[in-house]
Amino acid sequence: MFRSRSWFGGNWNRPKNRLSLEHLKYLYSILEKNTTVSESNRGLLVESLRCIAEILIWGDQHDSSVFDFFLEKNMLSYFLHIMRQKSGGSSFVCVQLLQTLNILFENIRNETSLYYLLSNNHVNSIIVHKFDFSDEDVMGYYILFLKTLSLKLNTHTIHFFYNEHTNDFPLYTEAIKFFNHPESMVRIAVRTISLNVYKVQNASMLRFIRDKTAAPYFSNLVWFIGKHILELDTCVRTDIDHQSNQRLSNLVAEHLDHLHYLNDILLLEIDDLNAVLTEHLLHKLFVPLYIFSLTPAPPPTSLAVVTQNLAAVLNRPVDIDIQEINNPRVSSIVALYLLSLVFLVITHAPLVHALAWVILNGDHSVFKEGAAEILNAYVEHRLTVVPGFGEPRESLEQALETVGANSTSHSYDTDNIHNTLEAPVATSNAREVAGANAAESTSNTVTTEEQCAENDVCGISVETASAAAQAVLNNAKLANITDEEKEKIQKLVQPARAFNELNRPFLEMVLSALDCTENDYLALLSLCLIYAMAYNRGVKNDWFEQVLSQSAKGPYSYKTELIERLLHLITLSNQPSCRIRLITIEIALQLLVTFTKPCTDDACITEAQRDALFSARNQSMVVLRNFYKSEDIFLDLFEDEFNEMRKTNLNVEFLCMDSTILLPPTGTPLTGINFTRRLPCGEVEKARRAIRDFFLLRKTCQQFLNEKETLLPLTNTMNLVQVDNVLDLNNSDLIACTVITKESTKQRRFLVIDSLQLILVEPDAKLLGWGVAKFVGFLQDVEVVGDKDDSRCLHITVHRGGATHNRTPLLSAKFLFDDHIRCMAAKQRLTKGRSKARQKKMYQIAQLIEMPGQVIDSPVYAVAGLRAGSVASSSSRSSRDHRPILSTTNRVPGFAAALKRDTSAGGVCRIQMAQNRSIEGIRNESAGRPRRRNSNSSSHSSTSQNRDANSSPGREHSPRSSRDNSQSRSATRSRDNSPRMPRPRSEEIPLEDFQHSRNNSPHSRANSSHLNTPTRAHTPSRALNYEPIAITVHNSTPHDTHSPAPHHATQLNGVPIAKEVLVPVASSEETSFIGNEEAATSEQRRRGIIETV
Amino acid sequence: MSYAYLFKYIIIGDTGVGKSCLLLQFTDKRFQPVHDLTIGVEFGARMITIDGKQIKLQIWDTAGQEAFRSITRSYYRGAAGALLVYDITRRETFNHLTTWLEDARQHSNSNMVIMLIGNKSDLDSRREVKKEEGEAFAREHGLVFMETSARTAANVEEAFINTAKEIYEKIQEGVFDINNEANGIKIGQQHSPTNPSLPGAGNQAGSASSGCC
Repeated sequence: MFRSRSWFGGNWNRPKNRLSLEHLKYLYSILEKNTTVSESNRGLLVESLRCIAEILIWGDQHDSSVFDFFLEKNMLSYFLHIMRQKSGGSSFVCVQLLQTLNILFENIRNETSLYYLLSNNHVNSIIVHKFDFSDEDVMGYYILFLKTLSLKLNTHTIHFFYNEHTNDFPLYTEAIKFFNHPESMVRIAVRTISLNVYKVQNASMLRFIRDKTAAPYFSNLVWFIGKHILELDTCVRTDIDHQSNQRLSNLVAEHLDHLHYLNDILLLEIDDLNAVLTEHLLHKLFVPLYIFSLTPAPPPTSLAVVTQNLAAVLNRPVDIDIQEINNPRVSSIVALYLLSLVFLVITHAPLVHALAWVILNGDHSVFKEGAAEILNAYVEHRLTVVPGFGEPRESLEQALETVGANSTSHSYDTDNIHNTLEAPVATSNAREVAGANAAESTSNTVTTEEQCAENDVCGISVETASAAAQAVLNNAKLANITDEEKEKIQKLVQPARAFNELNRPFLEMVLSALDCTENDYLALLSLCLIYAMAYNRGVKNDWFEQVLSQSAKGPYSYKTELIERLLHLITLSNQPSCRIRLITIEIALQLLVTFTKPCTDDACITEAQRDALFSARNQSMVVLRNFYKSEDIFLDLFEDEFNEMRKTNLNVEFLCMDSTILLPPTGTPLTGINFTRRLPCGEVEKARRAIRDFFLLRKTCQQFLNEKETLLPLTNTMNLVQVDNVLDLNNSDLIACTVITKESTKQRRFLVIDSLQLILVEPDAKLLGWGVAKFVGFLQDVEVVGDKDDSRCLHITVHRGGATHNRTPLLSAKFLFDDHIRCMAAKQRLTKGRSKARQKKMYQIAQLIEMPGQVIDSPVYAVAGLRAGSVASSSSRSSRDHRPILSTTNRVPGFAAALKRDTSAGGVCRIQMAQNRSIEGIRNESAGRPRRRNSNSSSHSSTSQNRDANSSPGREHSPRSSRDNSQSRSATRSRDNSPRMPRPRSEEIPLEDFQHSRNNSPHSRANSSHLNTPTRAHTPSRALNYEPIAITVHNSTPHDTHSPAPHHATQLNGVPIAKEVLVPVASSEETSFIGNEEAATSEQRRRGIIETV
Repeated sequence: MSYAYLFKYIIIGDTGVGKSCLLLQFTDKRFQPVHDLTIGVEFGARMITIDGKQIKLQIWDTAGQEAFRSITRSYYRGAAGALLVYDITRRETFNHLTTWLEDARQHSNSNMVIMLIGNKSDLDSRREVKKEEGEAFAREHGLVFMETSARTAANVEEAFINTAKEIYEKIQEGVFDINNEANGIKIGQQHSPTNPSLPGAGNQAGSASSGCC
């Protein structure tokens, strides 16, 4: 099979079969002959090592004799030998060696081969070898080697790496030495290795980890994290102007990595390990640094007293002490943020529970009296939550003994924290010692825990809480003074104790941070913390709320205070001058719902609080009314904000990954901060904010009322025609055209204009008079431009609504019509359809925000009111329609920017300008004002009346009123735009459809269905006038649901322009069963009437 | 060997799509692709030249580290480039791309250059994912796309080098903050001249051996 030959001739006379046992034998001979690495044989050795890897993997997959040979000759020992030589560019050789080893261990599939490879201790010798780790590549291959090995760990292989008798576990101990390596990939690998090790279920190994390594490793890790936090804090303090945002976000991301790593360890649920880790985290980081930093430095009523007394007793200058107290402290912003992260990431119950307890129940008496006070309180509480909990007092004493016996270790520890600021490197020795001491103390802790509470996670909580309390003590530097002095101080501060007893400084701080009078800088983070605590799985069910509602502060519980503060924040958010970000409002509302539980049995909200919420919503409507129509693109903003809000769910965890919330709130978008996480900038953003604020409050109020949203979104997608729907186009207005796209493809289509949509149909092959929708787009997003060279041509663009990332329009094509007149008709319909679609939606918005004079005065027949109101109240409305961009810009500050950015805004203007040109002539016929006024005054009737009137006998009435609406509009336009006197105009489109669009009047629906059949039987002459389109699927009987509402037909240059009314889908469904059985499968069934313009 | 820049890459994708083989194929050309042999490695480095500048690519594979959330989330940060690999003969590896991409986008810095790789293009007979589909996915998500074969080495060079070029362009445009190592870019010091990189050695040593099989 193999053809061997002399490989010694020439330089590299390789065998034909480089993958063969023969070749391996040859390579072995090379290793044998070149035991000393030198300049001359370096290349040869490297290539041999490389080939060995190749052959071994090939052998593993194809020929077992290869492996046998490798093991028989003990070739790994040669590797080791080469590795240990310092001469001859060993780093170069080492890289190859490590690569070979990696390839070997990564690619080997045969388990026996693996065992053989590991069976002698060579691998461990390689692990402990001191490579030149300053070389990037060596480091990379080495750590990868360890990682690869760690992936091979299981209950069997663990014995190859962990030696029970010698207490030796080089794979783990060597790896964790790099936990703080500057290269992030190395750190990640170390974390992977350690997690892979912990994962192995081997009691003896885990005991080794806990007893010999856990304390030093975790204390180092915690210390490293703490150091990192101080760095982060400095960054926050110095970066008021959002300058080093990148650096800050890296620090935050890095910190999150640490937290997730800790959580991953805790999630492995290795009890012993978790106890040690929990203790370390609480004891050395969370309580002494995070919690301690919550209250201002130095705490006025307790620490300052202590400090003063201490100073008096010891006769030392006060400054020094305060300085020392101040050292390990971060700003309260950072403290709140870090605590939020802890609760967002870590779910280990004993840890988060104890931490939550300290925040909710802890107080400064801890500093004066040690842990007795805090523990009594804690025990009381424990009894309520977990009845039958045994003898906590003992565990306290034991814990105190533990701490007392190891007081040196703690002073080392505090030294450490101080040293971090000055000389981090120098502290490594101290850390070692501290770690060793901590190991003793933790082993004690673990025993007591085992004794006192089997299977009770809370047992650990008690331990950790006492330890935490002790840590606070240490932090107050009491550990550095003798017991005698301590007693003296306690005597001195004794009187102050009673005063402070009810005080919960940490909880008070969190709650008082909710005050947004100035801004919401602290409030947002405080909300995050409350949210994180309330939603943390590790914090016991309802415990959080119970504590809040039980603990009384004066006449109110803390929960009441929290709710009041939330409501205050929400109320404040509608003040014009407030500096509260949207995200803050959103979380506050979410928390309000969480704590008051509306629409459940145990809802707890008082009438007054409810009223406060509703008046906040009403206030937000008032604010929004100011923006209604003050911006040209109000409708686009409104719909866009709604979609944005619907799209994004509140995710506090994601929010807290954003480091920018650590910096003072800013308004400028130049920082790149997401809109909801900063203050609005400029008029457009203020409008956006008002809209979103309204949405949020509306949604929350509906939750309290147990209502479903019925008016939003403005477009009911159920009513829309979809592509491929088959539509009954009998009697509807169709304009034939050829659609020429940018790629010059030509398609023959019929243009149909619905009340909301532009539809391009192609005749249905099976049913005469029916058509298949090939394209649909919203009229409100249509832009029409005439062609200056060809009067039969229109350039039509249908934009994508809203602020999608996809900026390419839905359709952009040249439409070629049969003749000039049809072209003009199409243009006018599109233009009118667009503005009507928009007006309709604006009316819906007016209804939503209860614009005065429109909804309240005449809730049903509000169309005329809206028109009149808009014309009368804001003349800007009409002028906006016709003024070119620049004049608009002058009127509204900040608007130009919005126009430039927002293409839909641009679209508005372009189309309007086009409209001006094209309609000018048409408009000459606009109706005279006298007539308009006349009908306006007479038009105040309810929809139902109007509808009734729509039946033939009353036809006269309705069209007039609707025409009035449009006429009033057009008249003002003309006034603005053209010096010509308005002429009677018959082409204006009546606006009855507004009534129907509201969709919420069953009455009108009923009417419409009644009147259906007659409509279908239109006489030809009427068909010409009204041209309804019924949209249905094949085979279903054409319905009826379009309202007959015959409108006054208008003639423009001989082209009939009629309108029909869109009937709500609900009614179509009511009647659909008439048609056929397929009603159930009405997925793509589209029914309803298309209104032609 | 000194370099002007070091770019850190990661390779992501389902297991078995040939990530480590791609890596080895690129970083160590001396490993001749052989049809009945699959060798991969999860770390490697190689020097390339772009615009007359020496650039070191350091590539880290993520294999075996998916079990822990802390690890996956850290991985993406700190890389300047990512190769997102699927196997053209296994449809499911293509279907999982969205998940990978979401993860990458969520955790990486926004400037990270992501290249989509359809690997195993040599196995055209067993192809389950059309090239057009890969192209469409890449277009939709703004990625660069390429089909490669670690076996035949087709396009492997190009995949890594094109990614590097894009990163380099971004540096030229000032998009990347090169002083921030968390971005996966390091400015080279004039150090370690004693360490010729592997591929350099490979070229010397392996040149004579390439005529085999």
